[in-house]
Amino acid sequence: MADDAAASLYQAFVNQDPAAAISVIERVKQSGVAQAKLFDQLFAPAMSLLGGAWASGAIDEYGFTQAAVVAEQITSFVTPPTTAQDTGVTILLGTMHRDLHSIDKDITAAALKEAGHRAIDLGEDVRPAEFLERAEETGARIVIVFAQMNSTALSVSRVREMFAAGGRDDLVLFVSGGPFAADVSLAKRVGANGVVRGAESALKLVAKVTGAAVPGAAR
Amino acid sequence: MSPRGRQVLLAEGLARQGHVAPAVEACYEALRLDEGDPLVHTLLSDLFLAGDFYDEAIAAASRAIELDADCAPAYLSLGLAYDRRGGMWDQSILVWHELAEVVPDLVTAHVQLGEAFAAAAFEEEAIEAWKKALELDAHEARAMYNLAVAALKKEGMATALPGFRKAGELDPSQDDFFFALAGVYDDGTPAPDPIDVPPDRDSRLAAAFALAFEEDFFSAVDLIRLILDDNPDDPEALALAGYLYLKQEAVNEAMAVALRALAVSTKTPTAVYVLGAAFAKRPGLNRNAARVFGALAKAVPNQPMPHVLLAESLLGLQRYGQAKQAYLRAVELDPTFVRARFGLAAVLLTEGEYALAHHEIRRAAYHDTRRQGLFWQLYDVYAEARE
Repeated sequence: MADDAAASLYQAFVNQDPAAAISVIERVKQSGVAQAKLFDQLFAPAMSLLGGAWASGAIDEYGFTQAAVVAEQITSFVTPPTTAQDTGVTILLGTMHRDLHSIDKDITAAALKEAGHRAIDLGEDVRPAEFLERAEETGARIVIVFAQMNSTALSVSRVREMFAAGGRDDLVLFVSGGPFAADVSLAKRVGANGVVRGAESALKLVAKVTGAAVPGAAR
Repeated sequence: MSPRGRQVLLAEGLARQGHVAPAVEACYEALRLDEGDPLVHTLLSDLFLAGDFYDEAIAAASRAIELDADCAPAYLSLGLAYDRRGGMWDQSILVWHELAEVVPDLVTAHVQLGEAFAAAAFEEEAIEAWKKALELDAHEARAMYNLAVAALKKEGMATALPGFRKAGELDPSQDDFFFALAGVYDDGTPAPDPIDVPPDRDSRLAAAFALAFEEDFFSAVDLIRLILDDNPDDPEALALAGYLYLKQEAVNEAMAVALRALAVSTKTPTAVYVLGAAFAKRPGLNRNAARVFGALAKAVPNQPMPHVLLAESLLGLQRYGQAKQAYLRAVELDPTFVRARFGLAAVLLTEGEYALAHHEIRRAAYHDTRRQGLFWQLYDVYAEARE
């Protein structure tokens, strides 16, 4: 089946017929081949046949280029999606009030978004009350507060106090920044549930809380 | 020739050969004869820098500039010394500004100025400086790496990664790696005229590689076609054809012939490389690229490039920790590998390790200027102008 399908896809390339190529792909998908496997099981063997046809002179340079254009047109049908599927997990990120350091937060927010999470970046200099308000608004369960100075790191305790005052002890509070990396006990003292040590650490901690898959893990 | 001149020449000769300690001694001897020679102070500063004596390098370069404000190689040493010593960003910015004024078309001065701005957290000014460097030379890889790092800081890895890969393509080391896999090195012999190539497979293939090395792609393709007309299942010829397609941005054609080559023989490292490079150009194929480059890294474990290519694919999969290990391996194999240093800096930034990241960028700067032989270029121009 796979060999036949690859040969049909190759023929569609050579005939410069994208519609036929798509119908081959759809047929293979309906036979139960997962989207993630289409490239390896269908597209790559068809491309190998194409390369062989060019090498043997069965198709000329012009035909090869035209077939490659058709392959280009249908690539998105056989490659895994470039953006991750929405996990439905909303995460708030922000740098603590009186702290303007943003790089760590920006990189972490981008990594969470890339992994399919709904990361909402509250920016820098965020007041404790705003974390609570935005959690209520968005339905976020996880909040990551960044602080790069000792004074602002200590004041993260006010975020936890605000959550308690609002009756939201259920919110998971992660902290990130140099002071927390330097003193592991500090996170506990400010009422945090864990320390984010960079983008990959954030992905792992979120996966732990939500049960979501860690990006890049073998499927 | 005066005795002073001979002594300076002796110091220069020793320094060029990398004999640091005798060169320093020769410099001091030259200064005993004439303390006011900026060339000798400049030489000393470069030697101190090579030995990681930053304060001494700063003092020597500053003295050279005091003696002659147009001494371009002294500005280079001074700027590099400030950058590597750390914590002297204000001075560093001033020095790179000065060098850019003394030698306005010196691309590296603008790249370094950008790095000094970035270290002082003037991100916008840094980006302007790197853009200026790229205006002067569109193939300036280090400016592109820095822009990728800037994109990482603002918008994350997904935005930055194409920039790292683009910069990597500007860097000639990736092409050099392909030819190294094929056993082709620059031995100074020019590629033959295709008409003179004997009509056998090995001669044609060797000539095709030599022509491709010299970027005469059309002549190389003609020879490859002759080989494939005799044997369409020649994996090495197919792999070279794939490389030539890649160089012309024909990614699907490259992928097709590389896949064919590997269907014929899985043990064709050049085809493995072409396939991985084609995958790396396609969004969504990072997993395939990582698999291919992982195999290549195992096949040639002592080459730093496949570890870097693997690391870049792992960045695309958000496997930053594994990417870091691959970059560290590449740096271990070649501490002067600029692409690996920048990649490592990127991973360190994802871990919030700013100081270490900037350390890697500074090391990359130092090795890049060494690789270019920039100090000696500026030194020779300056010394010639004085005479």
